[in-house]
Amino acid sequence: MNNKKRKKYINRKRKEFAWGCLFILPTMTGLIILNIIPIFQTIYQSFFKTGAFGRGNIFVGLTNYKRLILDGAVWQALLNTIKYAIAEVPISIAIALVIAVLLNEKMQGRSIYRAIYFLPMVVAPAAVSMVWKWLFNTEFGLLNHLLESIGLKSVAWISNPAIAIYSIAAVGIWSVIGYNMVLFLAGLQEIPRDYYEAAQIDGANSVQQFFNITVPLISPTMFFVVVTRIIASMQIFDSIFMMIDTSSPALKKTQSLVYLFYRYAFVENNKGYGSAIVTLLLGVIMIITIFQMVIQKKWVHYN
Amino acid sequence: MKMKKVLAAILGATMTLSLAACSSGTSESETSSSDDSKSKDTKLTVAIWDSNQEAGLKEIMNDFTESTGVKVDIQVTPWRDYWTMLEAATQGGEMPDVFWMHSDQISSYAQYDDILLNLSDKIENSDKIDLANYPENLVSIYQNEKGDQLAVPKDIDTCAVWYNKKMFDEAGIEYPTVDWTWDDFREIAKKLTNPEKNQYGTAIKPGSYQESWYSTIYAYGGEVISEDKKKSGFDNPKTIEAMQLIENVIKDGSMPEYSVVAENNTEELMMAGTVAMTFQGSWMIPDLASSDFIKENCDIAPLPKGPNGTKSISNGLGWAASAQGDHTEEAWQLIEYLGSKEAQQKQAELGVTMAAYEGVSDAWKNSHPEFNMQAYLDMLNDAQAYPSSKNTQVWYQVLMERMVDSFSGAKPMDQVCKDFAAEMNQFLAEEQ
Repeated sequence: MNNKKRKKYINRKRKEFAWGCLFILPTMTGLIILNIIPIFQTIYQSFFKTGAFGRGNIFVGLTNYKRLILDGAVWQALLNTIKYAIAEVPISIAIALVIAVLLNEKMQGRSIYRAIYFLPMVVAPAAVSMVWKWLFNTEFGLLNHLLESIGLKSVAWISNPAIAIYSIAAVGIWSVIGYNMVLFLAGLQEIPRDYYEAAQIDGANSVQQFFNITVPLISPTMFFVVVTRIIASMQIFDSIFMMIDTSSPALKKTQSLVYLFYRYAFVENNKGYGSAIVTLLLGVIMIITIFQMVIQKKWVHYN
Repeated sequence: MKMKKVLAAILGATMTLSLAACSSGTSESETSSSDDSKSKDTKLTVAIWDSNQEAGLKEIMNDFTESTGVKVDIQVTPWRDYWTMLEAATQGGEMPDVFWMHSDQISSYAQYDDILLNLSDKIENSDKIDLANYPENLVSIYQNEKGDQLAVPKDIDTCAVWYNKKMFDEAGIEYPTVDWTWDDFREIAKKLTNPEKNQYGTAIKPGSYQESWYSTIYAYGGEVISEDKKKSGFDNPKTIEAMQLIENVIKDGSMPEYSVVAENNTEELMMAGTVAMTFQGSWMIPDLASSDFIKENCDIAPLPKGPNGTKSISNGLGWAASAQGDHTEEAWQLIEYLGSKEAQQKQAELGVTMAAYEGVSDAWKNSHPEFNMQAYLDMLNDAQAYPSSKNTQVWYQVLMERMVDSFSGAKPMDQVCKDFAAEMNQFLAEEQ
């Protein structure tokens, strides 16, 4: 490559970079002002005993973190959060992938089915939770009504501490399947048809095709979905807040870290301790995400 | 690849902490309606949390708009989100012009001088408002340590028992009278219980503290918090005796299974015909009176008596104004009007709530002649101030948690009370 050409190339690269920066500027501004600055403010705040309305903060060092380590409720909440994530993420992904594969075939009314599966995603989470709260109601709920009509015993879906978190996870799965499905559909359409044709000629049946072609080739999409869903499920709050009353015997076994954060920061007005809890959550999510980044080499196939 | 890792980490972090941004986000939407300060017609934003009262208050505020030309926009934020909203609005400098204040929260707002509008001088120069016309303990709740008045009493509430007449008739039990005791209550609840018909005597849950078991505590001569607000009353033997009565009602089987009590509001269980007696605050009347089932079957009785007489927890809201707003003068005019005899009487007549203004609540009774509303008015004579401290929510949240253990039968009541007293004392010591 001669010098002139090279200079031109570098110039073009620079120009592209400048334009790129310009295009992401609006997003970055929003991100910095609404997200990144508050992250550091929150971490900063976790070292203070906070007064009401952000006034009269007193620096207390690690006191909030010491309290956090000794607070059994925090660790129980972390356990609840992890239980929720373990129940919600794999099941919702598995179901969504199967549905996406089925809806990727040519069939009548395909877009109607896609729209139906996506519907829960466009409904406000609070409204979804309210409806499910009624369905789950021990005494008057539709689910128990159905169970009793076929002669089974009714279940305290959201009051039994042993199962309430899974009932909430079921709602989470129901709500998120459509979103995951759309992402998988996009991923599936990237896979060249030739692979399937070649496999068919070799005599592979559709199950073999699914596990040997679809699953490996969709792994980049799968990776994206897994990472974002784990992060989102670790932040579960609204369905717990809406479905579990403060009088509920299951509250201790269902409250998530974000629920505790809400209680301390907004109900009890202890923003410092609330910030410490949410900083713990930030740390946990960071660790999980970094771990996923490391092991992705083992299972994600980029073309 | 490295860039990707960093980006993913940032993504994770931002998604976690976008929560933090929520708190400042709420105030944004509030601002839109109060921005027209320069236009001629002033518009005040008024924040309340009870949608049951919205229609009645709107009517009263219309009168105000007619006589002054100042427009009023009422915004309802449910109780659960109200204080989050107000706190964020305070911090962001976008408070509503006029809003409801509650005894639980006043002390955190009263510790600063530039948040709530100081009404003392204005009240002194007013010919409409004389604080002597309102119950003394209600007036003093809304004062700061210097004695400045920060809110004008809006209403007063008491609690009473709603009972299903039909269930009483079927069991051949006489309707409760002013003389009935908490022991009578326990016996009647037992008699009215018939699990085969899915009918239970009563439903009391930790969350209905103000209406039910706080009243029991004071009726037995116990207390929730000492008068100087420095000590918990839960290790007081009389408090424990009262709470054990509640425990016995549960042990008798006079309540539905705890999961049913926990998942439903007591008024819902009453409307479904599952329970015969529930405890309801006077603020619930618009809700209850709109139910056909309640109209047909139910009536109101006074609270039962204890060794210390009848005690009804009584609380009252206050109208407060923002000190930061552009329309503090108009805001004061509105509060002055809302606290005046005329508006207080109208509030009672419309059946919105009992009036804080003494002597005009009789009109409230006639808003629902089909019920024995007098029971609530009688309770005003047996009023017990709502127990609160500087940071009530801190111990209240833990109290709820502990009471769930005893109401669900997981732990004995006396143990729960004693343990909680120790915890509460620690919280109160930190408050000082």
